[in-house]
Amino acid sequence: METIAVIGGGPAGYVAAITAAQQGKEVILIDQAALGGTCLNKGCMPTKTLLQSAEVLGKIQHAEEFGVSVSSAEPVINWEKVQQRKNSIKDQLVSGIQYLMKKNQVTVISGNARFLTANTLRIDENSGSERFIDFESCIIAAGAEPAELPFAQFDGEWLLHSGQAMELKTIPKTLLIVGGGVIGCEFASIYSRFGTKVTMIEMADQLLPGEDTDIAAVLEERLRTDGVEVHTSASLKKLEAHTKTAIYEVDGQRVDMSPEKVLVSVGRKPRVTGLGLDDIGIVTEKARIQANEYMQTNLPHIFAAGDVTGGIQLAHVAFHEGKVAALNACGRNRKVNYKAAPRCIYTSPEIASVGLTQRQAEQQYGDVLTGEFSFGANGKALILNEPFGKVKVVIDPQYNEVLGISIVGPRATELIGQGTLMLHGELTVDVLEDFIAAHPTLSEAISEAIASTVGQAVHA
Amino acid sequence: MAINVIMPKLGMAMKEGTVSVWNKKVGDSVQKGELIASINSEKIEKEIESPGEGVLLEIAVEEGQGVPPGTPIAYIGQPNETIVKKEAREEAAASISAEPKRQNPEIKRQEKADSPATLPAAVEKVRISPVARKMAAQANLDIQNLTGTGPGGRITKEDVQKALETKSQISRQEPAVLTQYESPALTEQPSRPLSGMRKVIAERMHRSLLNTAQLTINMKADITELKTLQAQSAQSVQRRIGAKLTLTDFIARAVVLSLQEHPVMNSTLLENSIRESENVHLGMAVALENGLVVPVIKHAESLSLSQLSAAIRTVADRAREGKLSSEEMKGSTFTVTNLGAYGVEHFTPILNPPESGILGIGATEDQPVYKGEQLERRTILPLSLTFDHRIVDGAPAAAFLKTIKQYLEDPFAILV
Repeated sequence: METIAVIGGGPAGYVAAITAAQQGKEVILIDQAALGGTCLNKGCMPTKTLLQSAEVLGKIQHAEEFGVSVSSAEPVINWEKVQQRKNSIKDQLVSGIQYLMKKNQVTVISGNARFLTANTLRIDENSGSERFIDFESCIIAAGAEPAELPFAQFDGEWLLHSGQAMELKTIPKTLLIVGGGVIGCEFASIYSRFGTKVTMIEMADQLLPGEDTDIAAVLEERLRTDGVEVHTSASLKKLEAHTKTAIYEVDGQRVDMSPEKVLVSVGRKPRVTGLGLDDIGIVTEKARIQANEYMQTNLPHIFAAGDVTGGIQLAHVAFHEGKVAALNACGRNRKVNYKAAPRCIYTSPEIASVGLTQRQAEQQYGDVLTGEFSFGANGKALILNEPFGKVKVVIDPQYNEVLGISIVGPRATELIGQGTLMLHGELTVDVLEDFIAAHPTLSEAISEAIASTVGQAVHA
Repeated sequence: MAINVIMPKLGMAMKEGTVSVWNKKVGDSVQKGELIASINSEKIEKEIESPGEGVLLEIAVEEGQGVPPGTPIAYIGQPNETIVKKEAREEAAASISAEPKRQNPEIKRQEKADSPATLPAAVEKVRISPVARKMAAQANLDIQNLTGTGPGGRITKEDVQKALETKSQISRQEPAVLTQYESPALTEQPSRPLSGMRKVIAERMHRSLLNTAQLTINMKADITELKTLQAQSAQSVQRRIGAKLTLTDFIARAVVLSLQEHPVMNSTLLENSIRESENVHLGMAVALENGLVVPVIKHAESLSLSQLSAAIRTVADRAREGKLSSEEMKGSTFTVTNLGAYGVEHFTPILNPPESGILGIGATEDQPVYKGEQLERRTILPLSLTFDHRIVDGAPAAAFLKTIKQYLEDPFAILV
């Protein structure tokens, strides 16, 4: 039987392994750590667990507004329990992946893999022994790790990366977050609500530089309301661990501070070292593996998927790439399709978008039509006590195709599924004209925003 | 308010209609119901009646110009009245969207009545995304010809974009080729636009040659005995059914019987699947003054020779009178075309896609033929069968043609 080796057991790797096994191949998966990769162990899942605890705290703090009086003076965070809950959810999910591997008869080896030849991997097992695996095809899904600043190395004590920032023994009093991207914003949302005084600095002139300014502005305002000090167009000058001093510059002013902890979230870099890529001639460019639309490297039998390719670093994109890579490794002919890949940011309020941002759409299509609907005018958002944010829809003026949807507001990450469906189906506004959204729901805001692109919103 | 005259939708498949003649000029007064213009679409020519009384205020679509159904082609109202075109467009749009709704139940019934394997149902269903459909419609691109790369072969926006790119590349190349061969004298000749029926024929025939692997084989049938039978029975047939049985009728019957014996010749190739139809829907090519139409005799296998004869006569008459509906020209599984009247012997008919065969009938000729050692005067009929080699190979196609020949040479078999 043909053997397919998969390097990495994260979202791209384990999905690739299962897919290849379902195609009847013998699959060997190698990972140096726990299955599930960054997503399960150090990313999506643990942060969302922390966020949920913060959410519950927030609900209790605002219980009075719902007419619910809580007798004790103040809700108290039991940080140890918060961490335990996070870890037990993580363990449960990891064992879920282990079960899937067993069920699909994927051989899992714990260790480090390195290409010896273009058809052989050398594995240094965590147990200390070494072994060699011959393969017909290989899928590299080695993932990525937090990028470091050249002048300040992570020490795990004061200067932290996201993986370390979620494992803190206590809730810090003060936290400086360097980088206002997705990870920075999520951690700002988490810790500010646990009572930490958070300061954020971002080089660009807005948070979440990839999203539209008006969308990011809603989050920025809420973060400020929650006590976060947000500095955009700011530049970091110095991080000194032994004095715990941080210096940054904003509006020409030099600011010195001594935060208890510093989170550096300036992006994630693909793990391309130590795999022996150069030895067998796999081309990397800008420290990422180059893969074509079939997720194929320059060696036709070796594929790459997920963060290691440096593309869209999202778990569900990695699932898709892993599946595409595995199918192609099994002789199928599948192309990746990023058109309808949603982007979710788990802040408070949540932000979710799919397709083109207004800025991108204007670059591609020139003049576009937009439609907006504010959650302030949505009944369900009022009931939830979260009447903040909006839905924005961008359509092209010629065919009225839905090009992109951005949502900032309650349950945005769940709501975006509707937008994903529209993008995936290449729907046009006229097709959605008679679409019925249930009442009262947050989804009504989407239908209204769609209708307002052609000036037909009812409740706006 | 001005009344707008709209390009009607003649059948579901109509994508464009062309104004062939305006009977009125701007400023002429018109009566309601007066024939003000004639239009043509694909294979139908139709007179347009004035929807109201007044003065022809404006002609929006000139002669020879093609527009999608629903487009206002003229405005009728009171002299000096201003025309509010925005509303006109909206009304037009409403009338387009209303049209299919009215037609739907009828079409569904027809589909049910037909066997599920028949053509119309297969052709109507194209998996395509809404934006791709709009783009194709605006670019006048036939979605039947597009290959979908989306889930389950769904045609996506990207597929349409690619098709449009290819199309624009081709059209960019064309002028260069033309100028190369164009003589100055030729450019001075009056030209007429490729529109209506001519355009449809041009597209279909070109597409047929581009997309199939067609070739023609020839055979001769000795129809001396058939001629004798036809002559001997003429009087009693005339008495019984009030008409003559023509040679075409006998050939059509022979083709139907042969198709039932060779179902592979009664098949269509659509979207990578070959479907053999249990029913024979026989297309009969009819030449018209300005083109050619192929009315279809549905369920020809269920008709007796005299019924088939009557059906052929009816559709041919309707074709010549321009009365055929587009439904009557759809769904054939095999076609017969006859150039015998012009003295043509063998020829190479072009397939009518997605069919797998078309039979060409040539002119009969009396020839001396050896019967044993004796020369006899025999009537010989040239037959030319074009088939799609993607579906049928040479041997089975030849066997089918031979079966037709045998029926024609043993005419009593046709009658039984």
